[in-house]
Amino acid sequence: MAELTSFSFHPGSSLLHKLDVRFKIFFLILISLISLGCGFTGLCILTGLLTALIMHSHLPLKSGFKEFRFFIILLLLILVARMLATPGTALFEIKSIAITRPGLMSGIRICWRLVVIALLGFLFVFTTRSSEIKAAVEWFLKPFKFIPAKHIATMMGLIVRFIPVILNQAKETAEAQRARCLENRKNPFYRLIRLGVPIIRRTFEQADRLIVAMEARCYSENRTDAILSATRIDWIALLIIFIICGGIVSI
Amino acid sequence: MESSNQLRMMVYASLCAALTAVGAFLAVPIGPVPIVLQNMFVYLAGLLLGGRWGLASVGVYLLTGACGLPVFAGGLGGIGRFVGPTGGYLIGYLPTVFLIGKIAQRAHPRMVTDVLAMICGTLVLYACGVSWLKIVSGMPLTKALALGMVPFLIGDAIKIAAAAAIAKALRPVLRIEKLRPCT
Repeated sequence: MAELTSFSFHPGSSLLHKLDVRFKIFFLILISLISLGCGFTGLCILTGLLTALIMHSHLPLKSGFKEFRFFIILLLLILVARMLATPGTALFEIKSIAITRPGLMSGIRICWRLVVIALLGFLFVFTTRSSEIKAAVEWFLKPFKFIPAKHIATMMGLIVRFIPVILNQAKETAEAQRARCLENRKNPFYRLIRLGVPIIRRTFEQADRLIVAMEARCYSENRTDAILSATRIDWIALLIIFIICGGIVSI
Repeated sequence: MESSNQLRMMVYASLCAALTAVGAFLAVPIGPVPIVLQNMFVYLAGLLLGGRWGLASVGVYLLTGACGLPVFAGGLGGIGRFVGPTGGYLIGYLPTVFLIGKIAQRAHPRMVTDVLAMICGTLVLYACGVSWLKIVSGMPLTKALALGMVPFLIGDAIKIAAAAAIAKALRPVLRIEKLRPCT
């Protein structure tokens, strides 16, 4: 995954790296929800907060921007649709297509909101280890007795482990097929089957081997997880976030 | 090689979830628009694992993404994706995979029922995805349909046909079939 995307954990010593994961997940959810309902002033405050945090934790915005390409195209589409679809006083007209002021404003607001949410996720992933996230999820699911938290945490670990295996397998399969000139076949149906069957079959075989290995090592659900501890910084951060969110809601 | 079914299905479900995650990056480049494999892997999770474990597979995939691990398309994780414009499609995977698994499981595995199951699943997926896109972006229904459904229909038809063929080819190999009554 690391070669594929810059959205992964990078070690560091910033404030966000030090905060407890449980608090970070809570902040993430809280701010995402708040940003849904707030107007321009609220968005300005949130953007200010985010910019400060991004500067503080040295987020690699340049490589991040490359990942955002498709997201930006989607945003533009929404903006255009919003501008054309909302009735109101026309800002300017090209032939019969009118771009309205309320349409433009609401389009900008929605796009801004989505950018804020995306940046939040980026910050979170950048500053949090996946083993910590796993432990935090287990902690959050503990009160729900009917959900097997340990199983879910193990499955999440397995997913992260399987991703590079599948990517390697896919690369190998694609290269083998290129060597056999399969690219000349234009039938998409044929190509999908010829790509899908070997990838799935071989990765399932690897999974079989993994199962045997896990059993041979007496796998059980009772394992030692990363230790989570809340310090004073976490509570102070919680208080600050609450004040900011309260302020935004009351505006 | 007699493993406990619980562990075996758990690892298989994780593998399917990982395939779904990787499917967002794997594309068969044909014509101007590449065919992205993600929803084909969701269909296959339903067909191969059945309703219950398919649901577990997609559920854990979504949870992993919600926690911020980079498994969603474009590498962007985080709970924000559910609130974003494409969140409906992600949530829609849950009923989709369950429906496909249930329908395909009930009948003796045959290609016709598989295809029917996947068509039903796709309808549910777009019902969730398009209505959420409409709510979040505030577009009128026709625009939301034109942007969020119509461009993908041909690709989906190809994927459904391919998934049915792949499921048929793989079912005897994966030996999930005979495990099913026990799980």
